[in-house]
Amino acid sequence: MTGTPAPGTIIETRGLDLWYGPCQALKEITILIPANRVTALIGPSGCGKSTLLRCFNRMNDLVPDCRVAGLALYHGADINAPGYDVVELRKRVGMVFQKPNPFPKSIYENVAYGPRIHGERDRATLDAVVERSLRSAALWDEVEDRLQEPALGLSGGQQQRLCIARTLAVEPDVILMDEPCSALDPIATAKIENLIDDLKKRYTVIIVTHNMQQAARVSEFTGFMYLGELVEYGETLQVFERPAERLTENYITGRFG
Amino acid sequence: MHPTSTARLPAPARAGRSHLEEHAIRALWLACALVAVLAVGFILAFLVVYGLPAFAEIGVLEVLLGDSWSPTATPPAFGILPLAVGTLLVTLGAMLFAVPLSVATAIYLGELAPPRVRNLVRPAIELLAGIPSVVFGFFGLIVLVEWLRVSFAVPSGESVLAGSLLLGVMTLPTIISVSEDAISSVPREFREGSLALGATRWQTIRRVVVPSALPGVTAAIILGMGRAIGETMAVMMVTGNAAVIPSPITDVLSPVRTLTGTLGIEMGEVAIGSLHYHALFAVATVLLVITLAVNLGASAILRRLNASATGRGSPSRLAAVLGRPRAGMAVPVLAAVLAAAVAHSVGGLLPALAVFAAGLLLLAAVPRLSRNQAEKAAFLLLYLAVAAVVAILAIILLDIVSKGLPALSWEFLTGSPRDLGRAGGIFPAIVGTLCLVAGAIALALPLGVGAAIHLAEYRRENRLTRLIRSGVDLLNGTPSIVFGLFGFTFFVLYLEFGVSMLAGQVTLGLMVLPTIIRTTEEALRQVPQGLREGSLALGATQWQTVRRVVLPPAAPGILTGTILSVGRAAGETAPILFTAAVFSQRHLPSSLLDPVMALPYHLFVLATNVPGAQQNTYGTALVLILLVGAVYAVTIAVRARYRAAGGAPG
Ligand SMILES: Nc1ncnc2c1ncn2[C@@H]1O[C@H](COP(=O)(O)OP(=O)(O)O)[C@@H](O)[C@H]1O
Ligand SMILES: [Mg+2]
Repeated sequence: MTGTPAPGTIIETRGLDLWYGPCQALKEITILIPANRVTALIGPSGCGKSTLLRCFNRMNDLVPDCRVAGLALYHGADINAPGYDVVELRKRVGMVFQKPNPFPKSIYENVAYGPRIHGERDRATLDAVVERSLRSAALWDEVEDRLQEPALGLSGGQQQRLCIARTLAVEPDVILMDEPCSALDPIATAKIENLIDDLKKRYTVIIVTHNMQQAARVSEFTGFMYLGELVEYGETLQVFERPAERLTENYITGRFG
Repeated sequence: MHPTSTARLPAPARAGRSHLEEHAIRALWLACALVAVLAVGFILAFLVVYGLPAFAEIGVLEVLLGDSWSPTATPPAFGILPLAVGTLLVTLGAMLFAVPLSVATAIYLGELAPPRVRNLVRPAIELLAGIPSVVFGFFGLIVLVEWLRVSFAVPSGESVLAGSLLLGVMTLPTIISVSEDAISSVPREFREGSLALGATRWQTIRRVVVPSALPGVTAAIILGMGRAIGETMAVMMVTGNAAVIPSPITDVLSPVRTLTGTLGIEMGEVAIGSLHYHALFAVATVLLVITLAVNLGASAILRRLNASATGRGSPSRLAAVLGRPRAGMAVPVLAAVLAAAVAHSVGGLLPALAVFAAGLLLLAAVPRLSRNQAEKAAFLLLYLAVAAVVAILAIILLDIVSKGLPALSWEFLTGSPRDLGRAGGIFPAIVGTLCLVAGAIALALPLGVGAAIHLAEYRRENRLTRLIRSGVDLLNGTPSIVFGLFGFTFFVLYLEFGVSMLAGQVTLGLMVLPTIIRTTEEALRQVPQGLREGSLALGATQWQTVRRVVLPPAAPGILTGTILSVGRAAGETAPILFTAAVFSQRHLPSSLLDPVMALPYHLFVLATNVPGAQQNTYGTALVLILLVGAVYAVTIAVRARYRAAGGAPG
């Protein structure tokens, strides 16, 4: 299945297969992700959404017997090619995980971590980056006067926004979000959704969610996955209101199984 | 339905007998736990009481700060300072050598090693932990000391350096295993989080994984330090035992004598009841206080780091420190200066300058590396460290196996020693060791398991439980020579057991008690709470629940602890040095009050006092290693089996 939205494709896969040991988790995925838009991936759990997302920054490298075939391109370059700089890739394709995972450091150090590892030493610059990132992540007002306190003392929603701030501090092009709200209460969820709305002005966002309202609210493009395949992909409005596939319709209307 | 119509059920009747039984059993476990605490309290009090006369007669300051220890001179001098400095130097040296190697190895095993390599190296290192210290001492004496003598062209290689290197090797397994545990249990999310920000693997390790594992790594280092401070046999065999403060203090080729070494050497020869005798107890007290301080310091550090890492408490400054690897320059510069000082006192001015310059050059080069180069350099260093560790292990094992094998024969294993052990066999020593171990376990196992059941199952966290737990910790940190000293004075002399199998068994039993308590408690705690609740909800009594639901899945864990204790008891020399062991014996012991021969003691005497017995010495060392190695191999196999069966902890 292919959807070819808008010009300015930033990430693209062609016939991407992925196996965990003997089990094939992705089958022939071909997808074009438009730049500076929010793309949502939906589908029942276990269908391969996270797996696909983790292909975009090669996070699956960490899984011991995981094998990939087919093409995955970032700005037209094959990211699985030998010699491709995966560290640089991950710097430009940031990721926010399902479970907030701040480091056991202070709030400040969490945000400053990225710039530091990329060579920033100047204290004033770091201070500025930390403040700007925390503001962009709509967290600054809540933590302004406790920057040196441990990040693990924050609430779940705050931790997740901290992880977003941490990602923003590296100034990526793309932000991958894997069910960023699944561990959060409705108020924290609303805050993050608003945040995504702001982010799309400057970043390409790909968000995995099992919450269809959320996909409908925040995204401009939606892909529906099922059993490792990309069943349907297109503009969100169209996918939700006039799905081309029977499977998609069943899933969206809750007649599933 | 009327409320009154619910028939009044009789109050839950408890059969009087089973009720009584519950209470009796509960009391039994409590008693076990109390015995453990009382033992600790008693040992402590005993040492202090016996040490007091020395402090009283000589003066506290004179004992602690006196810079001469010469108990047989006229007038005698009983200043502990040179001994304490000796212990400090050797321990420090061991740590300087062991910490970088073992932390690097732990990082390699936890982060970089392919699973196949890891599964090979891990048990090998655990096996190394089982090698008895007297075997290390023997190897040190024959190979290391000789090597130092030749390479530095000095009259004798028995020195601070020899002690440090040997102790360093001996602490490698402890530090590696515990650090690797800490590193492996850093949540995967932290790594992913860092990599996803475009950090290299090395940056992730250095900035996220290691800082997160810091409490565990610190604990590992301190555990290793505790082991080094308390070690007796190996140190005694390679440090030369001259009670002097090296001058200059960085002269690593000077001989020294440690606190433990002093006890090991002099306890056997001292006149009972003399001032010298009491002064030795003063030494033991100081030794105990030092180990205590180290252990307490460790727990304090751990608690604070834990609190700040989990965001509980308010130690925001610590968290900030943890997050900021500043102060970075001070440590390497200090290291360079230290290395230069040592080079100076060993080799003179030129080597010192060379070492210092090399250090500075390195410091200047590091910040200029790109991060890919930095990663390559760091990994290269890690690989080198691992290679060094593996090479050390291989050299020790190969040396002993290759030279010990020719000695092994049917006669050697079943005969009695002749010609002071130069000829003949070691059968009585094998039997003696087996008897000692069996007795020690028979004593410690029921007591230890009982105490652990009390701690884990009948716990109500109160002052008593805490007291028991600190008692166990204390006992665990007590150097084995202190057990020997206590056993000698209390069992051998006071209770008039004489130098006997019984005295040795009880002493060894006390020594392994904390291991059994800890591993059992750990195993019990890993049984899910749901199981207990399920059983209790069916109306089972607490003891029924413990016996039928909790103990079975905990059994492998308890077994592991027991086998480890067997290995430890079999290899220890210091506790039986004065309590049970004799060098030669015509008949096998016929009663518990007879003295026994034992493998580690036999090896010790052959290595240090019998010239020309090299082949049989190697043979004895090999048999001892095989015995202990077999025990550890069984442990590892048991654990692997239960893990594979998806079963209980171990
Ligand atoms: N590390 C892994 N090892 C083996 N199988 C995995 C791993 N991660 C995911 N899978 C399998 O791959 C499939 C897709 O998983 P995932 O991408 O996590 O689904 P989703 O995010 O859509 O819920 C599932 O069947 C899952 O069991
Ligand atoms: Mg998922």
